[in-house]
Amino acid sequence: MFFKRGRDENTVVGRGGRPGNGAAPHVPAASHAALSVEALRRVVDAAALGFKTTSELEPISGLIGQDRALRAIEFGTNMKANDYNIFVLGPAASGKSTAARAFLTEKAASLPPPFDWVYAYNFENPNRPRALRIPSGRARMLEKGMVGAIDELRTVLPQTFEGEDYQTRRRSIESVFRSTQDEAFEALQRRAQAQNIAIMRTPTGFAMAPMHEGKVVKPEVFNGLPEDMRKGVEAKIEGLQKELEQILETVPKSDKQRRNRLADLNEEVANVAVIEALDDIKAGFADVPEVLAHLDATHKDLVRNVGSFLASNEEESQIVKQPIDTSRDPRFRRYMVNVVVSNGEGQAHAPIVEELNPNYPNLIGRIDHIAQMGTLMTDFLLIKPGALHRSNGGYLLIDARKLLMSPFAWEALKRALKAREIRIEQPSETAGIVSSQTLDPEPIPLDVKVVLTGDRELYYLLSQNDPDFQGLFKVQADFDDTIARSVENYRDYARVMASIVRSHGLKPIDAAGVALILEESARLAGDRERLSIEIGRISDIVREADYWAGKAGHTTILREDVARAIDEQTQRSDRLRDRAQESIDREIVFIDTSGVKVGQINALSVMQLGNFAFGRPSRITARVRMGQGRVTDIEREVNLGGPLHSKGVMILWGYLAGRFAQDVPMALAATLVFEQSYGGVDGDSASSTELYALLSALSEVPIKQCFAVTGSVNQWGEVQPIGGANDKIEGFFDVCRARGLTGEQGVMIPSANVQHLMLREDVVKAVREGKFAIHPVGHIDEGIEILTGIKAGERGSDGQYEPGTINHLVEEKMRQFAERARAFGRRGDDAGADRANGWDRVS
Amino acid sequence: MIHVAEAGESRGRVVVHLCSSAANPVAIDAAVWLARAFQSEIESLYVENQQILELAKFPFAREISVTGKVRRSISSDDIEREFRFASATFHSQVEARARAADVPVHSRVVRDEPIRALGTVCAACGPWSAVALADPFTSPSCPPLGDLLDYVHDATGLLVVGPRASRTGGRVVIALEDAALLPAMLGAAERLAAVNDTEAVVCLVASDEMELMALDNATRLVLVDRPHIAISSAVLTYGAEAAAAEALRQLRPGLIVARFGGLLMRWEGNLAPLAASLECPLLLLR
Repeated sequence: MFFKRGRDENTVVGRGGRPGNGAAPHVPAASHAALSVEALRRVVDAAALGFKTTSELEPISGLIGQDRALRAIEFGTNMKANDYNIFVLGPAASGKSTAARAFLTEKAASLPPPFDWVYAYNFENPNRPRALRIPSGRARMLEKGMVGAIDELRTVLPQTFEGEDYQTRRRSIESVFRSTQDEAFEALQRRAQAQNIAIMRTPTGFAMAPMHEGKVVKPEVFNGLPEDMRKGVEAKIEGLQKELEQILETVPKSDKQRRNRLADLNEEVANVAVIEALDDIKAGFADVPEVLAHLDATHKDLVRNVGSFLASNEEESQIVKQPIDTSRDPRFRRYMVNVVVSNGEGQAHAPIVEELNPNYPNLIGRIDHIAQMGTLMTDFLLIKPGALHRSNGGYLLIDARKLLMSPFAWEALKRALKAREIRIEQPSETAGIVSSQTLDPEPIPLDVKVVLTGDRELYYLLSQNDPDFQGLFKVQADFDDTIARSVENYRDYARVMASIVRSHGLKPIDAAGVALILEESARLAGDRERLSIEIGRISDIVREADYWAGKAGHTTILREDVARAIDEQTQRSDRLRDRAQESIDREIVFIDTSGVKVGQINALSVMQLGNFAFGRPSRITARVRMGQGRVTDIEREVNLGGPLHSKGVMILWGYLAGRFAQDVPMALAATLVFEQSYGGVDGDSASSTELYALLSALSEVPIKQCFAVTGSVNQWGEVQPIGGANDKIEGFFDVCRARGLTGEQGVMIPSANVQHLMLREDVVKAVREGKFAIHPVGHIDEGIEILTGIKAGERGSDGQYEPGTINHLVEEKMRQFAERARAFGRRGDDAGADRANGWDRVS
Repeated sequence: MIHVAEAGESRGRVVVHLCSSAANPVAIDAAVWLARAFQSEIESLYVENQQILELAKFPFAREISVTGKVRRSISSDDIEREFRFASATFHSQVEARARAADVPVHSRVVRDEPIRALGTVCAACGPWSAVALADPFTSPSCPPLGDLLDYVHDATGLLVVGPRASRTGGRVVIALEDAALLPAMLGAAERLAAVNDTEAVVCLVASDEMELMALDNATRLVLVDRPHIAISSAVLTYGAEAAAAEALRQLRPGLIVARFGGLLMRWEGNLAPLAASLECPLLLLR
């Protein structure tokens, strides 16, 4: 019994056509046609566009080919219900926000402006400011009216109260009360004087004592008087004290009556002035009961607090030296109104508000505070509206991602939409973590259509994870990424370019330039049959082309300017691609582009860096030996392979087992690896490539290294389409071009990807000149024939593959492995021990 | 006559005098105004009325509260304690207002009879420019103001406030009865007006129309070089101080400067009729 680490070397270079071990000679494969030049890039005929430059075209907005999305938006905007809000989903820079805004602008223009809203002081409950609904455009009128009325009262009331008429009446009242008391007191004093009794003012009251010649008698003198005289004096004092008490006791009552009489007088006088001041405002808002009710409350308060208008403001008299603005005077703030929504300023339609920073206060509004004497104070004039207030009665556009990233904002929006009212609360109040007293403004009824924009992933995440979302955003406006290539769409697309030209003040684009942009758009779409509608990127190209046209002294943007713009964009972004290319050129990353090797093949992958993507070849190697029927995907073993990649490997294993191990055990062990790959690998686009490497390793037929391969495979060996075909082809082309195009080099792609080809013009040129080739492949058999030049082979009527074909060689190798395994298995339990040590037994 | 202005002294002393319970803040403000106008110091003088202490020695002495609801026995100790509290309150009021106006202030407490205390202190610490009375000197038991001036030698005048006094803001009105006094009174009034950024105006006061005509002519001659000084009105008293006081009130002055011993305030006269109408302090010049 001995152990061996399998066959040491199954890589054979230059063995094509010469099978080893005296087997049947290889059967050459029939030739497979490469793709024609026309299939590689679908060009746009500039002459067929029907215009010379975009200046001849009527500009249109970015809404092309989005009928479904627009119908959804129209439906959503026409639905009156508060839960039919709209989520506009689509890729970034697809112009969905612009499109939605343009649509809503048109829609809003046909709707009347909504009500204005103001917050006013609540005289009954100052902590709960009143929300007043006012016909559109009249809130500012009320605001100015209130300032004007208070200004008027500031002038009129002091004049009225300082006027002789008022002063006379006031003095009359005061003198009635005062003189009664004074006279009583003076009379008492006279009586006391007549009886030689002094009434003296002490620090806290009055006291009486006997006097002589205007002076208090000294006690020792008084004590020397006869007792009956002393008793008489004391009796007099006692009597006078009682009288004094009676007089003094009437003072508070009399004072109260006097104050009441003066208050009545003040009210009477003030009432006339206040009626006069508020009269114009009342007349102007006679049709608005809420305002009239507020004005009545204001009237009562003004009359009650007329003293505010008579006392000079400390700040006014000492610092400013002139009357401070009424709207800023703390004495009069309660009479102002806070206009939170005013739709009358040049706006004759429903509002459209786009909140670019949809955080909680910007959305719901906030209550500001000001520091006074070290304390934070607030009042109803410090209520600031949010986007919901401004858009009430119209449309509110919000970027869903920004909204979700703002703490509390999403929940607040949902709360407002559900309750159909805007309730301004501090987030801390909502969370219940602050108990300090603040304002609780009356909520304002909400009637708004919210339009969220975001990508599809966000939409599906919200749908899945937020139970409220589907209930509140029932309209899904799904913007397509691409539109079909058609003459009509060419025309519309050109009009969008005309719109970009006009809105940015650019030079017109000639037809050839437009054609190249259309072709670039198809490249962006990754599909020769469709055009990308990433309007943002198209706009970038047009604006940059305008720049290069200016540099070149062109008055029109020509095709060459567009080409320059695209090239420059690429160059600005492709530092990493250059580094990758350099690594291959300097043979730091091993990529063969000539010769043949067994079990080694060039795969293609795509690197995506922001908006820029590029293809890059990678080497895949496969090695086989007898084993327990297991393919070791090294990427997966070290946790660098993603699930899709692992799935692809298992599928190809299924293909091998189904095709070659029907009658024999799968006594095969194989290892597959992306060489020099140090990052993660995912996706199944290399599964066909891995299968070719395995077939080569099993058949011991080398693969031509001048090819690179992409495509996934199913269990029947059918090659399936993949993404990024153009980038992958161009990536390998760049490597080959750097080393020199030989004419043999090319890329094998799935046949189903031919429709996606929009290759660079330099690639097309190389193909046209016979220096490069693109081979479409529908089945693994086709691919292996191209890669090896050996016929794949079909099973004959005897159930056997034709000798000398790839499939025959593979099947033979599988049979050999199975027989060896059976022979090895007879040797008893040693195999178990071997396996435990990580070794496969080989005879 | 007008000691400070006429002598051109740059400094003087204004006394704020109190001998009862609570000072009228308008009197203190007016005293501060005077002190600022004449770059004077303020002497805050609280008089502990000796007679009240005598009174407290009677076994039957009772104090009736200002509300008339409480009557209590009092002793000399009680009164002394109350004097201490009252004087401290008074001095702090004066000091606060004086410091706010950047006027130096000294405080003093004297135990004596009210008028005699003024004379004693004046002899010891005078002369004074003016004496501001924080007590209302309107009670029948109050001595005549003339007696008070007899005690206060060399003082320019007395500043008095009535029970209705409520403001010190407003122009300075010279109640002029004798044109010969105008230059001196005007000098004082203009200095007072300048401090409060207001104006000085003249109001002619005569007992009848003939006298008024003569006064008017004489005044205009004096003011020929002072065109910015206006003769704002004229008052005929016909022997009634109260009528004149009411006419002056209607000018809404911040301070009235008048001659003591004239038509408005006779030497032996009672302050009560004048004080009953005026809403501002009255500076009575000797």
